[in-house]
Amino acid sequence: MIAFKAIRKNPFKSLLIFSSITIAVMAIFLISSVSQGVIGMYSKMIKTDGDIIITQKGISDTFFSNVDISLMDKIDKLEHVSSSYAMIVGASPIGHIPIAGIYGTTANHFSHYKLSNGDYPKEGEVILGENLAKQFKTKSINIGNKNFEISGTYSSEIGFEEGGVVMNITDAGKLFNRSASFILVSSSSPNEIDGIVQKISQLNSEIEVKTTQNFVKEYNQFKIIENSSFVISTLAFAMGLMGIASVMSMIVNSRKEEFGIMRALGKSRFFIIKNLFFETLVMSLSAYLFALILSLGILAMLPHIEMLQGYVNGTLSLSSALYVLGSTLFMALLGSLFPAWIASKTDPILLINQGCA
Amino acid sequence: MIQASNISHFYGSEQVLFDLTFEVQSGEFLFLSGESGSGKSTLLSILSTLLNPSSGELLIDAEAVGKIKNIDYFRQSKIGFVFQFHYLINYLSVYENIALAAMDDKKENINKILNELGILELSSRYPNEISGGQRQRVAVARALVNEPKIIFADEPTGSLDSKNSTIVYELLQKAQKNGTTVVVASHDMQIQNYATKIIRLKDGQIL
Repeated sequence: MIAFKAIRKNPFKSLLIFSSITIAVMAIFLISSVSQGVIGMYSKMIKTDGDIIITQKGISDTFFSNVDISLMDKIDKLEHVSSSYAMIVGASPIGHIPIAGIYGTTANHFSHYKLSNGDYPKEGEVILGENLAKQFKTKSINIGNKNFEISGTYSSEIGFEEGGVVMNITDAGKLFNRSASFILVSSSSPNEIDGIVQKISQLNSEIEVKTTQNFVKEYNQFKIIENSSFVISTLAFAMGLMGIASVMSMIVNSRKEEFGIMRALGKSRFFIIKNLFFETLVMSLSAYLFALILSLGILAMLPHIEMLQGYVNGTLSLSSALYVLGSTLFMALLGSLFPAWIASKTDPILLINQGCA
Repeated sequence: MIQASNISHFYGSEQVLFDLTFEVQSGEFLFLSGESGSGKSTLLSILSTLLNPSSGELLIDAEAVGKIKNIDYFRQSKIGFVFQFHYLINYLSVYENIALAAMDDKKENINKILNELGILELSSRYPNEISGGQRQRVAVARALVNEPKIIFADEPTGSLDSKNSTIVYELLQKAQKNGTTVVVASHDMQIQNYATKIIRLKDGQIL
């Protein structure tokens, strides 16, 4: 009760703490949600239609990978293989759009893209993701100094694809000068996947074959995104911590007399620490809820911002929300620990008129 | 109630109290008088357990102050304070200020004391909504709520007019007549009329 009243009676300083925590928590929420969203989108693209992925050996990014597409003939003949398809993933300016994803794929994978209107592309044609299509009213588009007829539009749950272009793999091969970025293989028998991986590995010495599950776990780009997200989140945490600690120090300094009174009245040091902790806890929990609502609002808006073409999507899982809640409480307690300890050491003698000593 | 033996105190290298020895019996009203710089506030701080003397021994209610394990509980249960400035917490109401000081089993005393001090109708007001005299009465109520054995008051009327000063002295006298030991450090000589014992200090020594 005292904590609530103290917060109300120090509105400006309480607001400063509330703001520090809100900004820090929002930064943690957004950076981890967006990075998880990016990883989630790319993982989903890879995992949805295949059990095994084949990339060029020693290449850390699928954008730079080049795999011989003729391998597909040999792969399709292997026992327990139900289907395979090849893809080229690239990025290029398209008309006035500075950058967009280009997906060249074999015809047997076109059905992955749900047509909204028109037909799947033939040679010299493309279909546009719905997000990208909103920005083009023309019948053809220019990619890499080559004109492509727009044969239709498609929708996809994956933001990268919604903002991209799909074309025949032969056209993409000419644009990006490669055979295929990767080949995805589906198995008719989940128990045989490891065996198929072994067999495909023996087909060519310049390829790397992994289950899509393992690929996603080990993909360097995901690790870079996760590590960058962790570093930025840690910095946001540290900023929030410093914000709490400095404002709490100001609060403690301005309320010295009050803590002196409490000590003179026989209140223990623990009582003062407990009350200051509780004050910070109340502000932190309110700031956490406020930041959670704001972050959810921003994450909901992100896919609808045309400029971002759906490439920036955030995923906020319950485990992330709980993790950030834990971090917020830890930040609050750690940030108020030292100021509360200083407050609890307030000497009540300051209340006695030393001028008369 | 209070036994002070050879109490001396230094601030750095400057000695402000010199070998003071005296006793205060239970139920006495002690007036510590002296000019500014005489050492009376330092002595009051030592007697009220807020300051440890540099040397000497102090017994309160037969307990050696330096050896008390839980000084917070000792203060809350045995000592009441009234300061020159009321030192009420401004974001708590009159009632809440007193409740903050009250031990759990003494909370029922709050309304009774507010009534006795004639400020029951102020219980829901905040310190900035009442007069200086009323604030000091609240401070006295806060000091009395745990039915302490001793009340220490440091210039309790320093910021009050004579009418309100008289009210505060009468309240302290009433507490003393109810068996509480009262120790007041003040410049105000009006308090002689209420005191049962006077200690005059000059340059840290008892005259």
